[in-house]
Formats: sequence, C-alpha cells, structure tokens
Amino acid sequence: MGRIIIFAVCAAALAQTAFAAKPPVFSLAWSEYPSWSAFGVCHETGLINGAAGKLGSIEEKWGVDIELKEAEYDPCIAMYGAGQTDAVCITNMDVLNASLSRPGVAILATSTSYGADACIVSSAIADVKDLKGKKVRGLALSVSEYCFARNLQILGEDPAEYTFVNMDPGAAALAMQQKQADFDAIVVWNPFVLDTLNQRKDCHVLFDSSSIPNEIIDMVVMSESALQKPKGKEFASAVADAFYALNKRMADATTRDDTLIALGEKFSNLDLQSMRKVVQQTKFYATPEEATKLFDSAELKDTMTKVVDFCVKMEIVAKKPVVAFGAGATGNLVFDPAYIAAAAAKP
Amino acid sequence: MIGEPIARVWHVTLGIGAVLLLLIAYTILSMRQHRENPDDKTIPSWSQLSEGVKKSVEVNQRSNERWVVADAQATSLRLFWGVFWGVSGSLLIGMLMGCFAFVEAFLYPPLAFLAKIPPIALLAVFFVLAGTGETMYVTMIAFGVLPTLAQTVYLAVKEVPAELRYKAYTLGASHLEIIWNVLLRHVLPKLIDAIRLQIGPAMVYLIAAEMVVGDVGFGYRIRLQFKLLNMSVVYPYIVVLGAFGFGIDYALRKLQAFVSPWYAKGY
Repeated sequence: MGRIIIFAVCAAALAQTAFAAKPPVFSLAWSEYPSWSAFGVCHETGLINGAAGKLGSIEEKWGVDIELKEAEYDPCIAMYGAGQTDAVCITNMDVLNASLSRPGVAILATSTSYGADACIVSSAIADVKDLKGKKVRGLALSVSEYCFARNLQILGEDPAEYTFVNMDPGAAALAMQQKQADFDAIVVWNPFVLDTLNQRKDCHVLFDSSSIPNEIIDMVVMSESALQKPKGKEFASAVADAFYALNKRMADATTRDDTLIALGEKFSNLDLQSMRKVVQQTKFYATPEEATKLFDSAELKDTMTKVVDFCVKMEIVAKKPVVAFGAGATGNLVFDPAYIAAAAAKP
Repeated sequence: MIGEPIARVWHVTLGIGAVLLLLIAYTILSMRQHRENPDDKTIPSWSQLSEGVKKSVEVNQRSNERWVVADAQATSLRLFWGVFWGVSGSLLIGMLMGCFAFVEAFLYPPLAFLAKIPPIALLAVFFVLAGTGETMYVTMIAFGVLPTLAQTVYLAVKEVPAELRYKAYTLGASHLEIIWNVLLRHVLPKLIDAIRLQIGPAMVYLIAAEMVVGDVGFGYRIRLQFKLLNMSVVYPYIVVLGAFGFGIDYALRKLQAFVSPWYAKGY
C-alpha cells in the first residue's frame, strides 16, 4: 500500500513538472523583409525554434514558446486581424486599420525606411513637375503611396495634381525594367528599387524615403488581449531579445556577412554588396537604446498624426484610431517601450 | 432504389434548404467570432455586411465611381474579349486540324502540351511578353483557353461520321460548303459546352492577373479590400462573382439551345 502511495505521489509530481515545463505558445506572423527575416534567421541559428512545442535558447530563457508563421505580407495582416496570430510584423501605417478591430501594442520597432521606398523615373523626367499628367505606378493605399504623397508635400506640390495608379511593386519594377510604353515612373520598395536601378542605368531616383526618416516604421505589434494572457509580456520581451541577439551577430565582424546573406536569402537575388546597401536603406533599430529613443520621441507622435491623417484622407481607415504612447496608456495602438527595456535589462 | 426520381416540390424545398443551411452556418460562425471580439471584421455580421454592400454600390467620394459597376465593367470586358479571341482562334485552328492531316500532325503535339500548362504559372511570362495593360488580360485569357478549346473543336470534327461527308460530296457540295453546313453545325454545340467549362479557368487567370497588376476590376478590389481587412466588401464581391459566372453559364446554355436546338441535353 505504502509503495503504491509513493508511486502515485511520484507520478503526480512527474506529471506536474512535465506540465509546468510546457511553456505557453504565442505565435508571431512574419513576411520576408530585411528586418523581419531576422526572426527566420533566429530560427535557423537556434536562438528560437519556430515550431510549436520546441524551444530555442531565448525561448528557454523567457519561458515561452514562440511559434513562427511565415506568409506573404497581406495574409499576415489578415491573420492578425482574424485573431489567428498573437503578434505580427507590420508597418506603422498598415497596423492602423487592423487596430480598429483588434487593439494592439507596438512591442518592438525593427527598422525604418531610409531610401528603401523610392520613386524611380526614366531620363525623360528631370523635375518633379514633369510627373504631372504621367502615370506613377505603385501599390495603392500602401507605404508607397504615402511616401509619394509626403515627398510631393515636402517639395511644395499638391498630390491631387498627380496620378498614382495601382500596380503590384514586383510587376511595376518588371515593366520598368522592360521599358514598356507609358512607364516613366514607379514607386516601389526594396528589393525592387535596387533591382530596377541595377537593370536600368538610365533611370534615377527622383526622391525616396530618406527625406522622411522614422516615418515609415517596420515593427512588431502584439494584440492587447494576447499581451494580457499569462506569460504574454515575457513573449513580447523574448521577441525583442531575439531581435537584438541577431543584431549583435550583424554587428560582429566574424558573423556579419554570414548573417546578411541569411537575411537576404529569400528576400531577393541581390548579392552581398547590394544587401549591405539594403540594410542601409532599411535602417535597423539595432539596439534597445535606438528603439527606446524612437518610442519616447516627440517626433513619433508627430509622425503618427501625419500617418493617421493620411489614412483617414485616403479612406484606408473607417474611423480615426486612437494612438497612444508609453506604458499603461490605452488606445487602439499603443507604443510601449517596456518590452524593449525588459529585453535589455535581462542580458 | 438508386436513381429513383423525386417530386418537384422536394427539389425546390431541398434547394432552398441547402441555401438556408449555408446562411445559418455563416450566422453562427459570425456570432461566435463576435463573441470573441465584438469589433471583428474578418467574419462580418449581417449589419456589417450591409455596410460593405452599401460601400460597393454607392458613388465613392474619392473616385466618383460606383465600385461594383466600374469593376464589373472592366472585368467583363476583359473576359469577353479574351474569350472572344480565344474561341475565334481555336475554331480556326481546330477546324484546320480536323480537316487537314498536315495541320493536324504539325499542331497536335504543341497544343496537347500547352493545354496542360496552367496559365497562372505563365503569369510572369505574359507580363513580360504582353505588357501590363489591357492587351495583357486579353492575350492571357485567349491563350489560356485556346489549347483546350482547339482540341475540343478538332476532336468534334473528327467525330463527324464519314458517311455525312461522303453524302454531302455526292450531293455536289464544295469543301467550304461541307465545312459550313456539315462540320460547323456539328462542332458548335460541343464548342459551347467546352466554353462553359473554360469560363471557370478563364476567370481564375483574369482574377489572378488583376490582383497583381490591376487598377480596376474584381481581382483588384478583392485584393485591396482584403489587405484593408474589409471582409464586409470582399464577401459580397465573391457572391457577385458567383452570380457573374452563373449568368454567363446561363446565357451560353440559352445560346446553345438557340443555335443547335437538335442538340438536346439535360443541363
């Protein structure tokens, strides 16, 4: 009898530890983009294991299980909106609409477009005024159109006088490279920017996103409700931690090129030289300090007002989302640097 | 017993029942999603859907157009011209192949091969060869449906009993008269059957192409609204697409009954 009791107690204890050792699963949807492919590379290098039920070193450290879901960008947004993923890699503009139906928290800023979105024109166009009456092609209602409208604004032009026509950036770049008739201007993002400039030496960049630094921000957004779940905050910190761990590998001369090649593998067929340029034009917020500085800046508030106004004007959002800043703030979208700080505080 | 007929009233009731069942299932699904998240837009409630429908049929403030009208116009024109040229080409090629063994030997192998390539896979090739304008949609649909239709015509010509041809020749018909009065009559209903089956694939190519390079059309709108998570617009559009395809099918069936009333078929 005694033996049976001891056995039962042992079994119960074993089951207990087995149960406790199974950390909760949180999912992160990501698409191929320089600073987001970082998570894919984290998986390859074993920092995190993207499969549910398996842990990488960072997942063990934080006691959470990160499940990576890779998809095209648009389906990622839909997945997040439908509640099929807890967190998503998304830009500060595209998240606004999703945040109306699913309030979210920006837990990490990964990079900003600093030349990665560009308006490429043929030699027929020397000045921005030459674009009047011409069709400018790019993905409508996206950061491309935003970049286009903002640059016109900076140049003192009225966007209403210009024609922006929808086309997938890949198709637009292809048509430009082929010199198809009536193709004088496109607004695309990388790798299409560098690709097009490489293929057509007679084309030049009329303007790009380097005139609006920190306005197009690539980030990771987690749903408010998932964040409130047990271990949700640890997950957010782990995501930030993994991102910074990979950035350290990029800063280290011995692993730098290798990491760059890994980042660029599925992103494009650009060579190492071009990939170096890509990560300049898609400027990483490589350290917790840089990201925290962004989150705390007055500039960000200003930017978000501009982006929200643009989205309202273009009818991208049905109503104005509430954007809030700092820990404890409430709104449709909250920029909270707490998780970046948590990752930095636990090396 | 297998194959036992049922009364007409059962046909109607069961048909309505199936539709009702679908609607009820959707309502339950939507209610469940809204219990999880009251602001959900991915499985819209009926009131959200009616908003979406309103948005698609009202004159849009910015573009000054009714979305669904502009899109239907663009998509149906592209489809019409694409299928038109595809059918014309396939009729010509199929007839020639059926009538002349030289042409048959020359064209049969490439056609049989091309018919098996899904044009979606060729999307990039069409962008490269035919640009990204209206011509591209038409070319793509035309080439997409042509191989299968040409094969249909060719096989239908081969199927015409030799006696019919001999008889016509005996009665003094010329080659052209045989093609016009005997072969074409025989081919037409079969060609229409084949077109009915090819409308589906043609729509697939068209929507896919519009999703990538369109600035108006069903595919364009669905992709854009999907990205904006406006599923309240996407679902009605899908219903419209279904009705669109159904309408074309119905029209083709009527056409078939009109041009070859002797070719009686179920449905």
